Amino acid sequence: MQTVTLKPKKEIKISVEAENISPDKFAGKTEKDIQSIEIWMGNRRTTIGELFSVKVEGSAPAADTKLVLEGDFSRVKRIGEGMSGGLMIIKGNVDMHVGAKMSGGKITVTGNADSWAGREMKGGELIIEGNAGYYLGAGYRGETCGMRGGKIMVMGNALDFVGEHMCGGEILVKGNAGILPGLSNNGGKIVIEGNTSRPGSEMAKGTIIVNGTVDEMMPVFKLEGTEAVEGVAYRKYTGDVIISGKGVLYVK
Amino acid sequence: MELLIKNGAVYDPKNGIKGDKTDISIKDGKIVDKVSSKASVIDAGGRLVMPGGVDAHSHIAGAKVNVGRIMRPEDTRSGLKPRTKITRPYTGYTVPNVYAMGYRYAQMGYTTVFEAAQAIMKARHTHEELEEIPIIDKGALTLFGSNWPTMDFVREKNMDKLAAYVAWGLLASRGFGVKVVNPGGGEMWGFGKNVTGLDDVVPNFDVTPRDIIVSLMKVNEMLGLPHSVHLHCNNTGKPGDYKTTLASMELAKQVRPSKDRQVLHVTHLTFNAMGGTNWGDFESKADEIANFLNNSENVTTDMGQLIFGSATTMTADGPLQYANAKLTHGKWGNGDVELEDASGVVPMYYARQVSVFSIMWAIGLELALLTKDPYKVLLTTDHPNGGPFVNYPEVIALLMSNKKRQEEIKTLHEAVHKRTKIPGIERELDFNDIAIMTRAGSAKVLGLLDTKGHLGAGADADIAIYDIQPDQIDPSVEHAKVKSAFSSAAYTIKGGEIVVKDGQIVATPMGRTFWVDASVPDQHTDIMMKDIRLKFKNYYSINLANYMVQDAYVTHPNVVKAGVISVEVS
Repeated sequence: MQTVTLKPKKEIKISVEAENISPDKFAGKTEKDIQSIEIWMGNRRTTIGELFSVKVEGSAPAADTKLVLEGDFSRVKRIGEGMSGGLMIIKGNVDMHVGAKMSGGKITVTGNADSWAGREMKGGELIIEGNAGYYLGAGYRGETCGMRGGKIMVMGNALDFVGEHMCGGEILVKGNAGILPGLSNNGGKIVIEGNTSRPGSEMAKGTIIVNGTVDEMMPVFKLEGTEAVEGVAYRKYTGDVIISGKGVLYVK
Repeated sequence: MELLIKNGAVYDPKNGIKGDKTDISIKDGKIVDKVSSKASVIDAGGRLVMPGGVDAHSHIAGAKVNVGRIMRPEDTRSGLKPRTKITRPYTGYTVPNVYAMGYRYAQMGYTTVFEAAQAIMKARHTHEELEEIPIIDKGALTLFGSNWPTMDFVREKNMDKLAAYVAWGLLASRGFGVKVVNPGGGEMWGFGKNVTGLDDVVPNFDVTPRDIIVSLMKVNEMLGLPHSVHLHCNNTGKPGDYKTTLASMELAKQVRPSKDRQVLHVTHLTFNAMGGTNWGDFESKADEIANFLNNSENVTTDMGQLIFGSATTMTADGPLQYANAKLTHGKWGNGDVELEDASGVVPMYYARQVSVFSIMWAIGLELALLTKDPYKVLLTTDHPNGGPFVNYPEVIALLMSNKKRQEEIKTLHEAVHKRTKIPGIERELDFNDIAIMTRAGSAKVLGLLDTKGHLGAGADADIAIYDIQPDQIDPSVEHAKVKSAFSSAAYTIKGGEIVVKDGQIVATPMGRTFWVDASVPDQHTDIMMKDIRLKFKNYYSINLANYMVQDAYVTHPNVVKAGVISVEVS
């Protein structure tokens, strides 16, 4: 087991592109190695050692590496991008694109995550104990597939476009979600415990379950009657009928 | 500025040099017979030396390239390279930014590239992009095949007026040659229709694609343009389209060339040498096309080789792209250029295990390997339709190594065995053949062989040195080395200046834009302009004065003179 602890040396005001902060990049490395890893702050090339204090205990491959991020990471983007294994705990808020393209391992954010959390994720687990921003588990601009696999859980609320262009995997939002969750979906499962509006527009495949109130339905779904899912009765809809979609939407 | 390249294994097909150790002398941007002792020296150390690469068909600038960029922000996320002291940032793979276009071509040893289709009305945009593409020399072919004036003058059988229109259109667009895309089809697409063959009549104009192609070939030769008519055939992209392609190639027999080159260049055969009646019984007919080429002298082609992975198809063939978009259920960009043409942009992913794509992969290679004379088949990927141009080294390796082809075939859909001939073709091209298909041949097809595509005295000093020694390598076995050498030139010299060293850009001079100024008798222009003014008054959304590309758009011009009357300049 290897444990790496990072703390910002001072307040980060200009956004940092931190795709190099992940268990894959830190595994088996010493404090000195990690300090010298390149990182961009705004348009300036710098190193992890310049911005963060680094503490390393033990040495292990990525799957047995744990990262602990303490302090204010709310201006640090792309943490854990493409990570394939290991553990990461972010104690506090985090900026956009946390866990983007990750394929394995587990990230826990104890605070809020900004937009694009779990973007184009392929596997692993992302847990956000606070709220999530826009485009949770979505595909970035122009992509036809967002999340393809893995699991995202948000304890709080999420903003608009949860799981846009999702092709697989699972998203659970315990609170409310903004408008148009599951927009243009092509697979996977979204569960929203709270309220939302206009779910599932343009969906071709996949499943959306809303346990709270749906403020407004898009008029592109066909009501198939009622159906019980895990003992709970829902109205079952299929659509989007405009694109002959085979998506399924369950609304209480 | 003098430069001497010593000890190179030189391949210069035009001058009959096949790997001999020959010194190359350069002075003031040109190749000369000899230089003084003060010249700086590059010791090529027995490595491969060729003229700078010439690409006669690529989509590098203009409205539809930019529509591709706008439609595909996800493509822009790949191929990123931050700026350096010398270079601007690179972005994109199938639709790179303007800077990456120039840098990546130069890094492969290419120094001259022609954009294959610009509508006159969109030509300002084309030139604004060409002006930002660094290093390489370039030019753009102008679309004439579905233009209303073209079809009017063809119906009137008035070749003088048509010649005047072509000459004026080249001036208006600062264009280099006559491009014809699905003639008549671009007009019919405005009504949601298409032509289905050479003899369909285009409504409202009462002309057929056959009339349009033959008339434009005649006029092209009347004007003595450097390049021939450059044709994207009718029916392209449909199973069975090879019949239309062969019928179109037959038309070349009706016209005599005005210069030592073809009268018709038929482009991207991967997309129009298709047999079968539907996508189920789809097969390669590249052998039939190769057979035609082997028995004919007036027609050249290019491969348009398919590359597995991501591509962005873009063409002035609007109806073809509508069909493609319906197949992919993906993004579709559609364009209408008023009186001139249509266009469409559709992203594609060519997967290996799809039978149609495996067969299309074979078509380009079969054509190149079954056609005896490499001057008749240029190496292209119809960038970015078949795949991005950065894959030319992959195509070179495939052509030079049967072993590599057999390795590839193992990863493809089994249809490649039953419905193509590629598994049984053993021919392997040599460095001389490759130098023709990527240099001398392309320059000859474009009509630029006096200054491009060779290393004799008087040529532009555009030279590529690759990090392989031809006498010590067996490309058939060591195809990976060949591919890597062609991907990253040891030196690229452009106009006598070293622009690439060890695969890295070291200087970014601005290349020139080639366009053709063809003269016709004034009275023909006057009569023709009466019709054009009427078209602007009645139909165009812009004024004539806002239509012409002005000199300010072409700051490094290289004007090639042509025309039915020669103009004496004292």
